[in-house]
Amino acid sequence: MSFASPWFLFGLLGIAVPIYLHLYYRKTPVRKDFPSLRLIKLSVEFVARRKKMRNLLLMILRIITIILVVMALSRPFIGQSASARSSSDTPTAFVVLLDNSMSMGCTHQGISVFNTAKSRALDILEQMQPGDRATVGLINDPGRLIFSQLTWDKETLQKSVGNIPLSMSGTNMASSILPALKLLVPLQAYRRAVYVITDMTESSWKPFIEKYDLAKVEPGIDLIMVPVGGAAPENMAIINLEAEAPVIMTGRQVPLKVTLANHSQRSRRTRITISINDERKLEEDIEVEANTVKDTRIMATFAKTGMNHVSAAIQSDAMPFDDQRHLAVRVFEPCRILLIKPDSTAGQPENREDIFVKFALNPLNRSKDNNFAVESRSTEEARASDLKKYAAVCLINQRHLDLELIKRLSDYLMGGGNLITFMGNRVEPEWYNKNLIDDLGGSYLLPARIYKRVGNAVSRSVDYQMTDLDAGHPAFSIFARDGSGDPGRAQIFEFFQVRPNPTAMLLARMSHGLPGIVEEKRGRGRSMLITFSADTSWTNWPVRPTWLPFLHQTLISMITANELAIGTIRPGMPVSATITSEEARELALKMPDDNQVKLTVQTGAQGLVHFSTRDTDQNGYYEILAEGGKQILSAFAVNPPAEESLLDRINLRQIPRFIPLAHEAGRGKSVKEKVSLLRDGYDLSGAAMLALMLLALFESWFANLPTARRVD
Amino acid sequence: MEKTRRLSRFLDPKLLASLSAMEIRAHTVVEGMVEGLHKSPFKGFNVEFSEYRQYVPGDPLRDIDWKVYGRTDKFYIKEHEEETNLSGYLVMDTSGSMSYKGQGSMSKIDYASTLAASLAYLMLKQQDSVGLVTFANGLRKMIRPRTGMAHLKAVCNELESTAVSETTNIGASLDLVGQTMKKRGIFILFSDLMDNADVIIKKLRQLRTRRHEIVLYHVLDRDEISFPFDDTTIFHDLEDESEIVTDAFQLRSEYLKRVRQLMNTFKSALRKSGIDYLVADTSMPLENNLRSFFTRRQATGAR
Repeated sequence: MSFASPWFLFGLLGIAVPIYLHLYYRKTPVRKDFPSLRLIKLSVEFVARRKKMRNLLLMILRIITIILVVMALSRPFIGQSASARSSSDTPTAFVVLLDNSMSMGCTHQGISVFNTAKSRALDILEQMQPGDRATVGLINDPGRLIFSQLTWDKETLQKSVGNIPLSMSGTNMASSILPALKLLVPLQAYRRAVYVITDMTESSWKPFIEKYDLAKVEPGIDLIMVPVGGAAPENMAIINLEAEAPVIMTGRQVPLKVTLANHSQRSRRTRITISINDERKLEEDIEVEANTVKDTRIMATFAKTGMNHVSAAIQSDAMPFDDQRHLAVRVFEPCRILLIKPDSTAGQPENREDIFVKFALNPLNRSKDNNFAVESRSTEEARASDLKKYAAVCLINQRHLDLELIKRLSDYLMGGGNLITFMGNRVEPEWYNKNLIDDLGGSYLLPARIYKRVGNAVSRSVDYQMTDLDAGHPAFSIFARDGSGDPGRAQIFEFFQVRPNPTAMLLARMSHGLPGIVEEKRGRGRSMLITFSADTSWTNWPVRPTWLPFLHQTLISMITANELAIGTIRPGMPVSATITSEEARELALKMPDDNQVKLTVQTGAQGLVHFSTRDTDQNGYYEILAEGGKQILSAFAVNPPAEESLLDRINLRQIPRFIPLAHEAGRGKSVKEKVSLLRDGYDLSGAAMLALMLLALFESWFANLPTARRVD
Repeated sequence: MEKTRRLSRFLDPKLLASLSAMEIRAHTVVEGMVEGLHKSPFKGFNVEFSEYRQYVPGDPLRDIDWKVYGRTDKFYIKEHEEETNLSGYLVMDTSGSMSYKGQGSMSKIDYASTLAASLAYLMLKQQDSVGLVTFANGLRKMIRPRTGMAHLKAVCNELESTAVSETTNIGASLDLVGQTMKKRGIFILFSDLMDNADVIIKKLRQLRTRRHEIVLYHVLDRDEISFPFDDTTIFHDLEDESEIVTDAFQLRSEYLKRVRQLMNTFKSALRKSGIDYLVADTSMPLENNLRSFFTRRQATGAR
């Protein structure tokens, strides 16, 4: 409670008067003989009780009368807010937090919820008095304060509110509420308040109130909730779009998984339209039950290599921003894989050590419609091949290689090629170490130095398993899921003991700890060494079900490793990447509205440069362009967070500490009046005057109420 | 001369002249030695008819009603009640509370004594016998009933000489009076009844069961009936000397309510038992109280 004229409170000392009258005021009695006091004594007992009550009531009435007189003069203000309990001439410091997350983009009764919110913010700022300080913040993900310090400049604040755009991002309450509180905590001399203007979506508030104990917020700071948007509208949204293929090749059918959410109380039917590079390609009708999420798969074929823009859209509703979703996919030509198998010995049948690799990469032996085009060559034939045509080369159990081939392999590897080397009984460690490592200097081929053979593939008396599989590597990540098989169950009877290079990664160990599979990034390419054979002579892995996915994943990871993959991000999230300086010429970001923003790069070590951008506020397809837009270096999609589509409102009673400031147009007090009431409280002087009048009348009547008939 | 003056204090000639035409009639038949105006339960001459009964051998023939014989051919004896004299007992409360004198000219004891003397005179004048009993906390003085106007002097002397003092114990006093007065008669009790009402009623009923005629004068000062006090007052009890301070104005309605309750209690309880209850307001003329006595007696006698 606060008082406009607090000095009148000294009048409360007047309470002493009725107390004195009650306790000490007595008339001087007269003495009188009476025949017998029998009846008088009986009457006195009864009357004394009644009189006591009457006098007490009179005293209370008089005290209340004095209190009301004092209250009426000192003009008390009362309210539920902490501000209302402060003196009315104390200046106010407050923060207006405006929710501009995507969920605010829907309409309520034909009016944009976000525009309503801005109007509320302006109404609140309008109540800013001279001496008051304020700032404006945004609630999205991540939220921020537009002015990091409080300001007296009301006009600037109002202008900034007018310019706030609707964000396509999610809602992170903590990122704006906590800085606002931090700003207000030191301002003890002010009346302090945080106004949160929001649509109160449950998905954004629940994590916040679960993580932060709002009851611990300093009691002197008022948290005021200004709800907008009314009840949650029915909303149907595409909450996910992805290609269910590890690598996408031209001409190959790829399932596109579209996830729809029906956030309404009735089953709804809609049509999904898939567009590739802004051309309508596919349509499919789908019905989604009430309050459920449904996946559907639509087969698509890509014709263009490189980055492609895929979008899925449904019919527009009250929340239009989640009715379309984007996806950036890189499409490859079918990969050509070169297997260099051991030369066949004269008079012997053709060497078939490549058969298991060949089968794994093309199980149906198809000449087309296969991810990998596998070519098996002898060393002689390989020497004549143009290695640049191949996405990867597999060296299988080679004894000696021609030095020219070695040189070409080294150039191929350093230039971005991929090499997988399988061991076998033909491998001579000394020759390998000398010719494939030592003699090549910095352009060496193998990721590990080779030593002796371990185990006996003839007797098969002892078998080894692979352990410590690197689940983070794409080659083995697929096996991390339950039911996807376990490469560790394969038996390896013989292998080479190797020592990985310092920069090499150990992807798998043998069961007694020696390295099993080693990989190293070499130049722009990758080299993998598998310490056992590619056929079943040293291991039974090639006949186990995990062999095929291992090879597929390994090659796909090698092929895609050099591509700048950003994928799908949320609006407002920063995008950054490190690329070679050769690629980083005149980098620009092409945004969904076709505007281009030049990207600034920072030069790093080893010819690498780094770029970063936060211009990702729009939903849609973004391209990172190089060489003045001539080359598409990469692309990514920005999509709203799925939880923003869930528009269910949270009950205000679930949010502690917040005082509601609800307003419905044309009903009750205006927002300005409500803000003023919350800040200053209700002026009780009028009510006190009315109560005083009534009490005075009552007291007058009661005090003069005859307790006995007077003697005529 | 002195005695005459004192006597006349209680016997207002004007008042008594106004009452001379009145007759004191006992309500029930009492035993008496002197033929008077009162009905006698015994047969006699020149007396009022009582009832018919069949003749039995031995009855005097003069008592046979021949007119009835002429109509019915049966002998009926006409019986009569004989007029006899009445024994009156004047029972006077002389406790401290009876000394109270309010706005009027007489204290309660003076008023009651005057009333008692007046009644004694009238009863003696019509040949009835009158006795006097005074009591307070216990029995103080008793004068046996006698006839003859000379006895009036003794009664008046006693009334005059009795000093008021002590608290009231009506119950015990009535017990003693009842034991002493064996002969049936009329009890006229003068008291302000400052004692337990239930006990008083109980004792009076006991007296009534012995076939005594009882008249109760509840002697009250005007102050006791109207409680005309407004200020904060220290009330001093004339009986036990105790005191109490109270706001008389606020007490008034409650006090009056209790007084009315008390009077109603006596009135209803005693009338059920055939006891006459009369309020003697000391501010009212004595004549009024005597008239009300006789009016009441005549009314019950006609019943």
